[in-house]
Amino acid sequence: MNIQKTVNGSTLVVELEGRLDTTTSPKLEEELRNSINGITSLVIDFEKLEYISSAGLRVLLAMQKIMNKQGEMLLKNVSETVMEVLEVTGFIDILTIE
Amino acid sequence: MSMIRVENLSKAFGSLQVLKNVNLTVEKGERIVIIGGSGCGKSVFLRCMDLLEIPDEGSVFIGENELTSRKADLNRIRRKVGMVYQGFHLFSHMNVLDNITLAPIKLLGLSRAEAEKKAETLLSMVGLESKKYSMPEVLSGGQKQRIAIVRCLAMEPEVMLFDEPTSALDPTMVGEVLATLRLLAKQGMTMVIVTHEMDFAREIATRILYLDEQGIYEEGTPKEIFDAPKKKKTRDFIHKMKYFSWQIESRDFDLMQMQGNIRSFAQRYGLDEKKANRLQLCTEELIYEMLNYGRPGEVVDMQVQISFDERDKCTVVGLRCKGGPYNPFEMAADDEVHLGVTILKHTAKRLDYRFDGENNYLEIEL
Repeated sequence: MNIQKTVNGSTLVVELEGRLDTTTSPKLEEELRNSINGITSLVIDFEKLEYISSAGLRVLLAMQKIMNKQGEMLLKNVSETVMEVLEVTGFIDILTIE
Repeated sequence: MSMIRVENLSKAFGSLQVLKNVNLTVEKGERIVIIGGSGCGKSVFLRCMDLLEIPDEGSVFIGENELTSRKADLNRIRRKVGMVYQGFHLFSHMNVLDNITLAPIKLLGLSRAEAEKKAETLLSMVGLESKKYSMPEVLSGGQKQRIAIVRCLAMEPEVMLFDEPTSALDPTMVGEVLATLRLLAKQGMTMVIVTHEMDFAREIATRILYLDEQGIYEEGTPKEIFDAPKKKKTRDFIHKMKYFSWQIESRDFDLMQMQGNIRSFAQRYGLDEKKANRLQLCTEELIYEMLNYGRPGEVVDMQVQISFDERDKCTVVGLRCKGGPYNPFEMAADDEVHLGVTILKHTAKRLDYRFDGENNYLEIEL
């Protein structure tokens, strides 16, 4: 999975490409935790994300909990396949999806 | 009295044992359809019934006469049996009428006029009277096969054997040959048919024999065999089951490689992108639920088995996991920890769990 990060002031935009599964989720979590200090707006762009499993959802949940304390988190360009997983797990009610 | 009786028939080709101790009784008026995978011995079995293949062991009776007896008058006994082959086998240098009348004149002692009259009646029955002076080379495959059937009927057989009668035909011509077989069925002809035409088998057969493991693996009515086969290999064959399996021996197994192979499996059998994705997702969730929360022990021993039913388009993911008992499906569906279970519960149509004292068996139907 490719992770592309762009910081603009206190906004961090993270573009994901590929598959967010048990193998790749730890990498994303590490990248986000290392970059999230001082960030008040975290935008995760799912346009090129093909697949997500519960391991990826856990990272999103952990990040949402952090961002609840310091700002906001937004998911954008969520594909139908990924949206289906967010829906069945009730994550669409927890996360902000554009 | 039975029309055909096969007792303890065995046949091998070199070291390849094709049939072993096979028994069968065909009663008058029965329509038996033999099905099975390639190389299971269907055609060999059929050919043994007419002694076109010589069994290594066992006996074949046509009526009361033993065909396999050394003293048997093969030509006389064989007259009761008509055989239709995949490849028609018409005499290419004779016209249709001569093809049909040759044997009745030579073997039944009919006059040419009698034989031709009979041939014309039979040709009219299969809608080919206008072709009586045609040479085989100008006929279509379907027409040739109908002529081959008529040629058999001209000998007034008591039982007819069909060895994949439609396999060599263009799909557009299968229907006309099957229609001829239906006509014979209606007239009460005793028939043994080897075929791959499953819909036809279901429609015409009074009894289906599924051949596997060197013999009749399972037999029953079409309803029993096609709708509720009892044995695994019959089910696999009827439902055209396709399998994918993956062994997991470490927590650090190569998930990406497995998922790549699942994708290839899904693509090979025409599963769309959405289904392929769900298949990968559910497989991953099952595995990690057991690895993370189950009790697989120090040495991981798991096996994934995916089966795809090409007939009903149904996919089942199974996971065997050695270790202590753990049923993930008992976890609450909205549990934040067991997100994988939530996904599984919302995605699968059916979830099953059992434990046999050593292994956990999880199965989900998508």
